[in-house]
Amino acid sequence: MSLRDERLELKEIQRLEGHADRVWGLAWSPAAAAPPMLASCGGDKTVRIWQQSSPSGSFECKAVLEETHTRTVRSCAWSPSGKLLATASFDATTAIWEHIGDDFECVSTLEGHENEVKSVSWNASGSLLATCGRDKSVWIWEVLPGNEFECVSVLQGHTQDVKMVQWHPSVDVLISCSYDNTIKVWAEDGDNDDWHCVQTLDESTNGHSSTVWGLSFNASGDKLVTCSDDLTVKIWGTDLIKLQSGDGNAMWRHLCTLSGYHDRTIFSVHWSREGIIASGAADDAIRLFVDNKDGLVDGPMYELRLKKDKAHDMDVNSVQWNSSDNGLLASASDDGSVKIWKLTSLP
Amino acid sequence: MSEKFSATLRIGDLNDYIAPSQGCVVSLKGIKPTPHKLQKSEQNAEKSRSAPNPLQTDPVKISLKDCLACSGCITSAETVMLEKQSLDEFLSSIKKGKTVIVSLSPQSRASLAVHFGLSSLQIFKKLTTFLKSLGVKAVFDTSCSRDLALIESCNEFVSRYKQLSDDGSCKSSVPMISSACPGWICYAEKTLGSYILPYISSVKSPQQTMGSIIKQHICQKMCIRPDDVYHVTVMPCYDKKLEAARDDFMFEVKSQGGTHENIGLRITEVDSVLTSGEVLDLIQAKSVDFRTLDESSLDKLLTNVNEEGHLYGVHGSSGGYAETIFQHAAKILFGKEIKGPLDFKIIKNSDFREVCLEVEGKTVLKFALCYGFRNLQNIVRKIKTGKCDYHFIEVMACPSGCLNGGGQIKRKPGQSPRDFIQSLEMAYTDDVLASDPFKNPVIKTLYDEWLDQPGSEKAKKLMHTEYHPVVKSITAALQNW
Repeated sequence: MSLRDERLELKEIQRLEGHADRVWGLAWSPAAAAPPMLASCGGDKTVRIWQQSSPSGSFECKAVLEETHTRTVRSCAWSPSGKLLATASFDATTAIWEHIGDDFECVSTLEGHENEVKSVSWNASGSLLATCGRDKSVWIWEVLPGNEFECVSVLQGHTQDVKMVQWHPSVDVLISCSYDNTIKVWAEDGDNDDWHCVQTLDESTNGHSSTVWGLSFNASGDKLVTCSDDLTVKIWGTDLIKLQSGDGNAMWRHLCTLSGYHDRTIFSVHWSREGIIASGAADDAIRLFVDNKDGLVDGPMYELRLKKDKAHDMDVNSVQWNSSDNGLLASASDDGSVKIWKLTSLP
Repeated sequence: MSEKFSATLRIGDLNDYIAPSQGCVVSLKGIKPTPHKLQKSEQNAEKSRSAPNPLQTDPVKISLKDCLACSGCITSAETVMLEKQSLDEFLSSIKKGKTVIVSLSPQSRASLAVHFGLSSLQIFKKLTTFLKSLGVKAVFDTSCSRDLALIESCNEFVSRYKQLSDDGSCKSSVPMISSACPGWICYAEKTLGSYILPYISSVKSPQQTMGSIIKQHICQKMCIRPDDVYHVTVMPCYDKKLEAARDDFMFEVKSQGGTHENIGLRITEVDSVLTSGEVLDLIQAKSVDFRTLDESSLDKLLTNVNEEGHLYGVHGSSGGYAETIFQHAAKILFGKEIKGPLDFKIIKNSDFREVCLEVEGKTVLKFALCYGFRNLQNIVRKIKTGKCDYHFIEVMACPSGCLNGGGQIKRKPGQSPRDFIQSLEMAYTDDVLASDPFKNPVIKTLYDEWLDQPGSEKAKKLMHTEYHPVVKSITAALQNW
């Protein structure tokens, strides 16, 4: 049975209340053993940790990480082991929290960005951390023993606010997207141990014509999805074998554009392990897109399989699939709430 | 224009949703936006596509000084930079009959040498011919004033080191951080603030040292009014223009020779900074066949040239601070004679290197070269968290140091950055004899007839400076949400 034959339903399981302001970011813990755990962050300068009390039970707020950031916490990301949580804030810092027992302790603060940090991401092995922000720069940090962090590179290439950074799921290649309408691909130099921009995806390469807000890789890492203020979602592809061989020629190319589905800014896209792309937008709705194999002749086609109107009372800022195969989707909104959804298929 | 500054300065450029003219806090001084409006935009800032409504203001002239005093951006306005320190201003000062003196940096010499395929000495001589044909009175060498700055730095380091060993509680004495890079100084003052400034050496840069020697000593000695002298330096770096414009590098004319009319007149040590690239522009604008120009004799008064006509100076292409101070400290503090060039070991990357001196199994001196913004970040982080065990750090904002400054002539298409830097390094050292600053006869004379001795009251007053944390103004803070 394949996804495209099924009727999908997105069922609201729970509305998580607690944030006193808009919620910006979400991150599911990758730690597999424990019950699903979610971090959320937002305009109230806090990070909240939510965990399901039992496999079928409801989510409860386990911890509130506060009094560290002095302004909005814009995004958060778990290290691959789930032991560390990184939080990026408008206060120009990125905080690193260690999960010890039931507690979260701030073990390091990364300074350097001139002003608002907008996004943070760990690479696949957890040895590198990337941050980006309003100062138009992308920073790469090396994770050293003892919760030490060292700046490996400060990358200046974007001409405006950098909205999001995301590491490739298996190769140490970093992708950033910006208010300058471009998507940039960054990789390490072979010889002089610094990083540089290896590709820029802009309007001349079928790219976006307005702010690029978010990006997400598919599970295997040969495709990339981006979303924009230009009301489109775009799919990009690369040669994974080439990319993994460290060949600098593994370029990303435009595969298709999903237009006509959104009529307000799209703030977030996330690709599930099973291949479902979720989008969150300023029209308060969540949409799900699935690869339509019929379109193979002209490259991949994606069809809108579900639109959840009024998913929230206000803008949907983030959508995140749980990485286990449990169909759980979390969404965060300007309405101050986080929602947990379950994707089910109807016979 | 702003991309010509070092990356360290550029990262401070805050213009984001705001067009440059609006972003400038100074231009808003007349008509301040209401705080209410700005608070509202803070809420919407992340998602608003367009900037808040532009304020209708008349263009306001801002000076470099305004930029330096402000905690907002550095400056993105080309006009600000070019108005006071331009080729036009340089040429018109000659026309006005000013005594125009040019001080050439060895890094600029190397840049021109690589460009023209000549040696540093040939460049120096031909440039002297060229500049004098335009009406310049003298062409000096900042590797000469740098020797004075190095001696003062050696002296400062030894006293800081002794302070550390005498009294462990004095934590802000080391690491001593070099002060010659204006990009670093500007970043430290605007972004890092008071916790880092006490570590920075108080010694003026070679550029400002030269300015001080010329305007506060040579002028008096030769009975020239300092305000009649227009002193231009040629530098590898745009940030040097900001340095020259600092208030700390102005002084008041003292009463002398019975004329009181000039009392209170503010004199600038360095009136203008031209970059290596701008000097090339000048050569090209005058349609001169530079390679075939005659080679003039050099002005020996403030130039590192010996009796046989050879250039001499320290060899580090970013000023040789770490190397010179290390050798001096080893000798003075531990009685160890260490021959150069020192073997700096690469840590992490070629722009982060260190050298240590061990005495009886204990590391007594640990020095680092730290170039480029990413390495600078890690040093700053270590100092802030109290984990920095260096005694001295030679900090330069640019990767590869001063030869790679933003004002240097660009490499030819097809040439790799690495090969280019190597050719500059070669041109920098090739026909220049390595020498000990303490043995420089010009500098010896300056101490004898003017400054007394290294670290004297007079030297402290004339050859050292201060740093000031830039307090974020309310308007800048609001702009900075």
